[in-house]
Amino acid sequence: MAIINNDKYTQRINWHLSKYPDKRSAVMPLLYIAQEEYGWVSPEGINEVAQLCDMDPTQVKSIAGFYTMYSEKPKGKYWLQVCNDLACALRGADEFHHDLLHHLGIEEGGTTDDGLFTVEHVMCLAACDKAPMLQCNFHFMENLDMAKMKAWIEEKRAELEKENS
Amino acid sequence: MNIIKGFATTFKHLLEEPVTLQYPEQMKPFNPRYKGRHHLRRYENGLEKCIGCSLCAAACPADAIWVEAAENTDEERYSPGERYAKTYEINMLRCIFCGYCEDACPTQAIELGHEHQLSFTDRRDAIFTKEMLIDTPVGKAEGTPRQVEPGVYTRSIPDMPDAK
Amino acid sequence: MVKIVIDGKDYEVPAGANLVDAAKNAAGNDIPVFCYHPKMEPVGMCRMCIVELGMEEIDRETKQPVLDDKGQPKVRWMPKLQTACTQKVTPGMHVRTATKLVEDARQNVIEFLLTSHPLDCPICDKGGECPLQNLTMAHGPGGSRMVFNDKLKLDKHVPLGDLIYLDEERCIQCARCVRFQDEIVGDDVLAFHERGRSLQIITNSDPGFDTYFSGNTTDICPVGALTTADFRFGARPWELTEVPSICPHDAAGSNISLSTRLDRDAGGKAVIKRVMPRQNEYVNEIWISDKTRFGHHFTRSEDRLLHPMLRRGDTLAPTTWKDVFARVAGDLKAAGSDVAVIAGGAITNEDLWELKQLAAGLGSERLGTWTPTYGGADLVAKVGVGKGTNLKDLGKGDAVLVIASDLEEEVPMWRLRLKQAQDRGAYLVVANARHTRLEDFATQKERNGKPVSGATIRYNVGEAAHVMHELKTRYPEIAEKLAGATNLVIVAGAEGLTLDGSKALMQAAANFLISSGHVGKANNGLMSPLPGANGMGLHYMGFTPENTQHIMANPPKVLIVAQAEPGEDDPTAAAWLSKVETVITLSLFPDKTTHYATYALPIQSFAERDGTFVNGERRVQRFYTAQGPMGEALPAWKIVAGMREALGQAKPKVSAAAVMLEISNKVPAFAGCTYKDLAKVEKQFPDVGGADLYYGGTAYDNKGGLGVQIATSADAGETPAVADVTLPAVPKAKDGELLLLPTTRLYNRSHVFKPSVLVHPRVLLPYVELNEADAHKLGVQPGDVVEIAFGDDTVRVRAGINGTPAGVAVLPRELADKATPFLPTSGTIKKVTEPVLA
Repeated sequence: MAIINNDKYTQRINWHLSKYPDKRSAVMPLLYIAQEEYGWVSPEGINEVAQLCDMDPTQVKSIAGFYTMYSEKPKGKYWLQVCNDLACALRGADEFHHDLLHHLGIEEGGTTDDGLFTVEHVMCLAACDKAPMLQCNFHFMENLDMAKMKAWIEEKRAELEKENS
Repeated sequence: MNIIKGFATTFKHLLEEPVTLQYPEQMKPFNPRYKGRHHLRRYENGLEKCIGCSLCAAACPADAIWVEAAENTDEERYSPGERYAKTYEINMLRCIFCGYCEDACPTQAIELGHEHQLSFTDRRDAIFTKEMLIDTPVGKAEGTPRQVEPGVYTRSIPDMPDAK
Repeated sequence: MVKIVIDGKDYEVPAGANLVDAAKNAAGNDIPVFCYHPKMEPVGMCRMCIVELGMEEIDRETKQPVLDDKGQPKVRWMPKLQTACTQKVTPGMHVRTATKLVEDARQNVIEFLLTSHPLDCPICDKGGECPLQNLTMAHGPGGSRMVFNDKLKLDKHVPLGDLIYLDEERCIQCARCVRFQDEIVGDDVLAFHERGRSLQIITNSDPGFDTYFSGNTTDICPVGALTTADFRFGARPWELTEVPSICPHDAAGSNISLSTRLDRDAGGKAVIKRVMPRQNEYVNEIWISDKTRFGHHFTRSEDRLLHPMLRRGDTLAPTTWKDVFARVAGDLKAAGSDVAVIAGGAITNEDLWELKQLAAGLGSERLGTWTPTYGGADLVAKVGVGKGTNLKDLGKGDAVLVIASDLEEEVPMWRLRLKQAQDRGAYLVVANARHTRLEDFATQKERNGKPVSGATIRYNVGEAAHVMHELKTRYPEIAEKLAGATNLVIVAGAEGLTLDGSKALMQAAANFLISSGHVGKANNGLMSPLPGANGMGLHYMGFTPENTQHIMANPPKVLIVAQAEPGEDDPTAAAWLSKVETVITLSLFPDKTTHYATYALPIQSFAERDGTFVNGERRVQRFYTAQGPMGEALPAWKIVAGMREALGQAKPKVSAAAVMLEISNKVPAFAGCTYKDLAKVEKQFPDVGGADLYYGGTAYDNKGGLGVQIATSADAGETPAVADVTLPAVPKAKDGELLLLPTTRLYNRSHVFKPSVLVHPRVLLPYVELNEADAHKLGVQPGDVVEIAFGDDTVRVRAGINGTPAGVAVLPRELADKATPFLPTSGTIKKVTEPVLA
């Protein structure tokens, strides 16, 4: 795994680097690419981004640490961020969050044993009208209930099984 | 007349018990706050209370205390915190038993006891080392240094129940 | 100057000054600060310096201040308190620092900072000299509304590197360390991670916190969050005795303070517990390099030579000083004038004077320096940086040229100050045959949001003098900018040069300075990173590298090797040292030179005696006795004086001060350099140390003297003339061989640095750096063990591939156990199939 010398990303990396007069300005989009590749902002990813942006790895790690949308811990394939801020909570998001964790058998912030799902709660995602909702790998899933969720989880598990066989 | 008065006092005291004691066979009980020679205390678990901070030495008006500190490791642990006294010496000839060291001590490690019979035939004998000053562990508690589980003693200063 | 009003009183302060500085200087008003530091840009992070701020109201039509009923200017106060550190003074500024509002605010800031502070002052290395303690006592609330159990419990012992520990609980997030690394050093290896209450200092560099200035972060840390591994729990600050001293390692001559304390392990004697910077704004400001800070352990090393030794057959046997003096006098008398002296760069002026007198008394003038690589010290004496030079004054419109020197490794303090000069706007040109750290800065166009200017020049190894001589034709643009600068400083080293090459380079640099008129005034002229702390002292006492060459070619009957290590540095030492009948060594350690010695005599280190060094800027600086002698060691000057007495030349002087008095009377350069003159101090800005609340930090105020700078002949009014440059032959590799380029590493395996065990993980394994193509040709991969053959000698080291010029192999000196060449030499490299490092 790598983002440097990886055909998958070369074009995007070059595009981001070309956007700014100074290489270091591209650090944030490149961190997203690293997160995409490794599933989280791994130490290797930080070093690669530092190399690309001509920065000290310490500064890159500092940026990854400041912003919450970079994860510095390994995550499952699907990173589920459930909003349970006030508006969502009033529409049952708290319960939904709790049930989801219970259904997957994990603690808040934990990852399932098969490495598929990580569940976290987050602050407002600005989709209060469609609560309960969550963000899966930065894509919204809205108007949820546990039945819908269970079906989706089964679907993803089946996909994984199919891949493995 | 006066002479009879005088002798009456004398004879009265003849019958009374003497005030003097047959020291050292007999001793008077001490005032609980009497300041005699120092003791370095231990916690119930046998670890040393002293953290080697040298505040006693700084407070000492007679410059009688000498402390050198070192760092604890889990393999060789003396006190619960990070730091312990590697060297702790009190020169009893210099000491004026004022008890300032006791006041200065942040962990109540040093206390002045009741022993006061300090006599030396050599000036060097007047320097009490840490081995002489420190209490023996109470009951079954293990002494120091000792090996401990990693991660148990992580605080720089041990939590002190009396401080609350 | 502008007029401002502080607490109702009028003050005249320089326009554009920082309000905190202005209040301190003009009004003596200590505005408390944590994050603000006069050496760095203000950030206003800690909020400790908040004051009430107001401006005089100005009538828009008349542009005159609006007056109130009493005829006083009407002040419009800002609705909220302002941070003083981020304010520049402006005319009509009104400040209130002593009101209830300000006092309450300060109290609240302190209380807030202490919410999660562990209050473990009794075991904290900073306790006793801690700005947080001081300001809490001065402005704190005295009690807390927070419950002790609410405190965040974090890691207490995080090693940021091998030298610095972080206590996460104590950190108050002022970012002084982060900003120091970023703004002042230029190695931004520290940063904040996470945010809010989880904010922590981290480093992600490999190896951790990898910079030559890391120790300074512990000084400027206003709490005990950063502490050094060296001083960890070593003593409480109030128990330490501060002894003014000078760094013995390099030409910067950093002023230091040796903190000593009695130690049971040392038999109850005083030992150095730590080395702290001592303020000298001309030399090192308030910083020192890590080598200066952590390289003091050799003074108490068990391996030191402790007794005068006399050769008996193959071994050296201890003897008495009396015996030594009598025997040496006999040998010297027998030798007549066939006597020579070689002295190293770390020797003091007093020692040199006695050595010179001894040789003169015998009719010899053969006084050599070691190592004989750096020429042109005479030119530094003629057109060196002018009297009153302060690299801190270099800035916009000025220029600096660094040629043939890796300053980061040779004199880190100069590299730090020159990098800062570039920050202030100076034009920095770095010329070398290979990549150096300073080159990185010279190539940058922008740093910390400010434009910086610089240029780099690469030349073939050994062609430094050619480039300097032909700068105007080869690099007209750069030459024009340098010549047209208001102030110009040229730092010329000797990397990749023979002695002739170095002399030619210095002459060419001097010519450039003379022809552009940059001589004879402050902040203009020549500097050279001469090896050792007293390279210029050697020159002023008449010791030259040319003499050394002569001595090596024509070995004398008696050779005195004073604090020099030819046996360690020169692969050919055996050839010429064994031809000397009697070698007398004066050394700290038994080394490969004492192997040839008939008399191996122990000398005292800089910490055990008084003495003076002359730094690369020709500043004569004095150091003081900090600890007792090791064994029977004597100061070198006393040993030589003993010999002179035995020879019947003169009675020994009573003290080093008396020797210096004689020097100041006899040597014109040292006129006005008696110990009394050298101990003079003046008030310096910023105020450090003491009970000053102005800004915390534990650099020490200078009580030992600022030293005296020797005037150049150009300063003295002599018009320097341009002299011809004889361009030397460029060292070339033989056919099919590589050119071995000796370089200097700051952290090495020399005898004076080896005892600093703490730094061992940072000392590189012996290595050679190759060009990619050369390595490919030799079939060498990075990490392979290779055998390097030069002359009749071989050495085994690890190979690295690091873009050196083609045909050149960089072989750093003093890393391997054996002597490697100190001049560019042709050699072969082959891979060792059975990789066993000798």
